[in-house]
Amino acid sequence: MSGSLFAVARALAFVLLALVLCGAIFELAGYSSLSMFQNIAEGAFASPEALLNSLGWALPLFVIAAGVVVSFRCGYFNVGAQGQFYIGAIGSAFAVEWLNGAPAFIVIPAAILAGMAAGLLWAAWPGLLRIRSGTDEVITTLMANFIAGLVLIYVTSGPLKDPSGTGQVTASRPIAALYRISDSGGVSPAIIGLVVVSGVLIWVLVNRTAFGVLSSLAGRNPVMVGWQGGRLARLGLAGFLVSGAFAGLAGAIELLGPQGRLVSGFLPAEGFTAILIALVAGLSVTGVAVVSLFFGGLAAASLYLPVIAGLPAAAIDIINAAIALFITARAWPRGLGLRRVRRAP
Amino acid sequence: MQRAEAAEYALECQGVTVSFGAVMALREVSVGFPPGRIHAVVGQNGAGKTTFARVAAGLVRPAAGTLRIAGREVTTGAVNAARGAGVELVHQSFALPPSFTVAEAMEFGSTRHGRAPFTRAGLEARWRGHLDSLGVTARLRERVRDLPVESQQAVEIARALVTDARVLILDEPTAVLAPAGIATLFRRLAGLRASGVTVILILHKIREVLEIADTVTVLRGGRLIEGTVAARDIDAQHLAAAIIGSAPPEAATLSEDDRAALVGAGAGHAAGATIAAPAVLALADVSTRPDPEGPALDNVSLAVRAGEIVGVAGVEGNGQRTLVRACAGLADVQQGTITLAGRAATQAAPLARRAAGLRIIPFERNSEGLSLSSTLWENWAVRPLLLAGRLLALIDPARLRAQCDASLRHWDVRFTTTEQTAGSLSGGNAQKVILAREIDASAKVVIAAQPTRGLDVGATAFVWRALREARGRGCGVLLISSDLDELFDISDRIVVMLSGRIAGEFAPPYSLDAIGRAMTGVAR
Repeated sequence: MSGSLFAVARALAFVLLALVLCGAIFELAGYSSLSMFQNIAEGAFASPEALLNSLGWALPLFVIAAGVVVSFRCGYFNVGAQGQFYIGAIGSAFAVEWLNGAPAFIVIPAAILAGMAAGLLWAAWPGLLRIRSGTDEVITTLMANFIAGLVLIYVTSGPLKDPSGTGQVTASRPIAALYRISDSGGVSPAIIGLVVVSGVLIWVLVNRTAFGVLSSLAGRNPVMVGWQGGRLARLGLAGFLVSGAFAGLAGAIELLGPQGRLVSGFLPAEGFTAILIALVAGLSVTGVAVVSLFFGGLAAASLYLPVIAGLPAAAIDIINAAIALFITARAWPRGLGLRRVRRAP
Repeated sequence: MQRAEAAEYALECQGVTVSFGAVMALREVSVGFPPGRIHAVVGQNGAGKTTFARVAAGLVRPAAGTLRIAGREVTTGAVNAARGAGVELVHQSFALPPSFTVAEAMEFGSTRHGRAPFTRAGLEARWRGHLDSLGVTARLRERVRDLPVESQQAVEIARALVTDARVLILDEPTAVLAPAGIATLFRRLAGLRASGVTVILILHKIREVLEIADTVTVLRGGRLIEGTVAARDIDAQHLAAAIIGSAPPEAATLSEDDRAALVGAGAGHAAGATIAAPAVLALADVSTRPDPEGPALDNVSLAVRAGEIVGVAGVEGNGQRTLVRACAGLADVQQGTITLAGRAATQAAPLARRAAGLRIIPFERNSEGLSLSSTLWENWAVRPLLLAGRLLALIDPARLRAQCDASLRHWDVRFTTTEQTAGSLSGGNAQKVILAREIDASAKVVIAAQPTRGLDVGATAFVWRALREARGRGCGVLLISSDLDELFDISDRIVVMLSGRIAGEFAPPYSLDAIGRAMTGVAR
């Protein structure tokens, strides 16, 4: 435990370094970095509404990031969270569409399960390609993200198109209020419940099951686990599927909660931010909970900045990018004890 | 006169010392190679041969020592300096880009590029003469990866010679060749010698050394044992003794008490008592598919009975690794059968073999044995968790940690907490963690591959005692070692491996002479 706390503390130190770098960039761009950070902090955490808003952003991020932790601990760099998130939302939307008219206590669980199943399947094919033929999962999952984005455009402009829609983005028909699990704020007992249950499940999986120990060993040293007779392919594929299912769950939560419908290109960085969260948190589930709140706050502030302070929302992107830079640059991949799995025994 | 003196040695090094971390790969090696001859550098794996070649080629910068090429001192650890002075190295694992055509590979090695843009025809025209002059028949537009291994090597050599090399170093060139290919290679090298090139061959087969080399240099444990002795003045047995060494240098400095501890004071051999015991591990006519990790097994038959220690001697790299992998279920057995604890295991999955009682102390402690960045208790718990079989079974880490703690204390591992990483332990303690995991109550066969390599005297004695205790409990022990003293002291029988075959079986009292000859493949 103290080891993982240390890892988080070290990661937060790098976040701090990233913020210093951003401060310098803001100054160069002619903004006062101090007031910039002040505005961000206000937008993220200064008022109850801001806090609630940050929490709304943090919840789905946490679910995706916790799933990513499982895959990364197995030693597989499944960077397809974004696509699995989209496909999860799409699966969920289809479930709602087909069951439209049925009582909410049937539709909502069905839509959630459909989202998880869809995300899982979207992670399954890169996982199988990796395990069966050694195809680099970074490439396949990254490409799968683009495909998922295009599928989303197709679905919102075809099968689930909202005929009344206008404008530049396409969207699906809004979900009946009956089936929504939150308002557009994204914080409701139902969502918090779902997220807490997911967090506990993943925490138990990582810290209290044979899978957690073995997958972590396999992620750090697949050769040793292979010599002991471990089936690396099975462990790795399981990691893919779990992370896909939870990214899909986050998609379902977004659809049934804050979004209320599919919109092409919605939340385009959600999965990548979640990956960043998992890395900053040192692949610890409890760490992910804390770091999600931080990044949720940043996301909330990015909407607040232009409106209230007249500052560009891109500032948040710069901060995210700087953090990504520092986190990945520090002794990657050995700093996290990760190792790319290169061969089966 | 001055000129003649300057050219006394084509390549000469003085006091070269190289260490990788705590391992001394070379210790104060001073040797000079006269020009225009074929020199062999021999020694076991780990003797420092490849490191020596890499120092000479400027790929490794020694901690101390100087390198002179054709009498002129060159900067050490600088490839360009060495190449500029005419030294080229042909690597053991070939270093040409596999997707290049032969012509492109030549151009790649050249330092004098033409000004005109590259064209396929231009490249081929440029290099055809070079290949022809060396008698290399590979077609210029063929891709390197499509060539048979002999041609790949020929192309490597041709590539090394495009810069007008005066010293050509080949690292284990015969390892990848069939006998006919070796004959061709030797003819080619003799031709190079005739044209004035100095050839330095890294080899480990004595027969080949005596066949081709003008002089022999022997390395052992990073030290120079013999320097450029004329090959005609040396015989196979003398050479074998120089390569193997009759005693490791450390043993000579042991006190009487330590020596007794190392030998295990009166434990003796279990020979005779266990002849009738059933075989717990048996290989019958096992051959494996060749793979990149070492020579394939070739009709290996071997039985380890309950309660005996069978030693496997052999110069490293003669299939011992494949033997262990085949037993573990990690090599592709094409022919023959493997029996574990009385049951057929030829096709059994690695985990099923563990369940049947197979335990392995693998060659590579830090990669195959332990996950260094994981905690001690995770490393210790890996097999129990795998054997339990249910991935989603809930575990109690506190209990596992307590069990691990007790086990590690029993095995006298020096550690502070089971939460520390395996990488934080010293080599001896890390090996004890592996012993604690592998020699458990349900172990039936223990394969110990180089279990004492890199360990100090105390830890070595500990490992030997552990293996003896395992034997005493009725385990069959297969001990693979390149330390003959170790094998002689604790093996009840010794088999010798050579080129993936069992080259002989010996019972105590062991004859160093006979085993040494079997190890090096010297007839009679």
